[in-house]
Amino acid sequence: MHIPDGFLSPQTYLPAYAAAVGLWAYAARRVKRDLDADTLPFLAAYTALSFVLMMVALPLPGGATVHAAGIGLLAVCFGGWMSFLAMSLVLAMQALLFGDGGVTALPINTLAMGFFGSFAAAAAWKVLGRINENVALFLAGWLSIVVPAILIALALGIQPRIASDAQGAPQFFPLGLSVTLPAIVLPHLLVGLAEGMLSILGYRYLKRLREKLTP
Amino acid sequence: MNPDRVRLIAYLAAVLAVSIIHQPLWLALGLGLTLLAGGREAGSILRRAIRAVLLFNLLISLSYLVMAWLHAVSPWQMLLRLNLRVLLLTSLTFLFIARVNLFRALDFSRNLTYVLGLAYSQSLTFRRAHDDFRLALASRSLRRPGLRDRYRASAAAISWFIEKSLHAANQSAQALRSRGFFHD
Repeated sequence: MHIPDGFLSPQTYLPAYAAAVGLWAYAARRVKRDLDADTLPFLAAYTALSFVLMMVALPLPGGATVHAAGIGLLAVCFGGWMSFLAMSLVLAMQALLFGDGGVTALPINTLAMGFFGSFAAAAAWKVLGRINENVALFLAGWLSIVVPAILIALALGIQPRIASDAQGAPQFFPLGLSVTLPAIVLPHLLVGLAEGMLSILGYRYLKRLREKLTP
Repeated sequence: MNPDRVRLIAYLAAVLAVSIIHQPLWLALGLGLTLLAGGREAGSILRRAIRAVLLFNLLISLSYLVMAWLHAVSPWQMLLRLNLRVLLLTSLTFLFIARVNLFRALDFSRNLTYVLGLAYSQSLTFRRAHDDFRLALASRSLRRPGLRDRYRASAAAISWFIEKSLHAANQSAQALRSRGFFHD
């Protein structure tokens, strides 16, 4: 889902960096409050887990595959802030160590997937978790994909309006909202279904595993 | 300031400059300079950059070509600018990856360096394991695996990664505790 380098104008990514840096600092302070010998390695482990979940292909009928993101699962299991930090680290690692994504797209990807994706999932879990666990988990996974997809479609689709030359030719991403919203959001409504299932199964598995590991 | 941090700052400044330059000629010049800075690795940097951007850029360029044709506007200046900019930024990133030790560049924060180091090493291990799972499924299937088999393979891989993450986190926590990481 995430945006590659070079498609966002500085008018978009510079304010997004300002917002992301503020949120990173706040998230780091919050996580640091409970920082102990467990938090640090767990944050690293969840980061590696989200990284690899993005590589695992979930098959769809018809031969197509989609990639899980694990944002919903992380947010439900470890809370919005931890999930936001882990996703930010994954995206930063992908951009600066593996060359995937890019440094100009990093803040928008981080805000859309890491922040809004995680907190939409965490909110669904908080509101519905006590009423029906399965519905809450499914919705958490689905929202963690659909909310970022909408935001990324918006960020790309506004580029021709905010960054065009004197002749009106776009300087960055050239297609408007009438193209980006259906092209990005519609497929992700389906991808969200796979992510919702992953959240249910992953949560159950993780719960069983933790019970087994706890002495 | 250590040289890696200087290079990180130079890279970020170059990225900002590339996104405020709109003349294709200057962007092409920037690409040439980046490849020159790549030295012997210039060919591999360019190949990797083209491979990384080809599919997405092709899709966007073709969509814009259709749109420009429908609106009867010339698309070439815009397409040249967009593709040069994306290629230049991606080449800069691959040059940065080849030349800079990110862990040394970020060593102003001990916690950040540790988290990044642990996460990166585990991610590399997981990436290798993911490739092994994929190859194992391919090598054990006489025909293209069906939907059910692929679901089961993905589920097995995900459960293995979850289990491995928890064990790795527990092991790292014990290692940090036994070495007095939080009491230095």
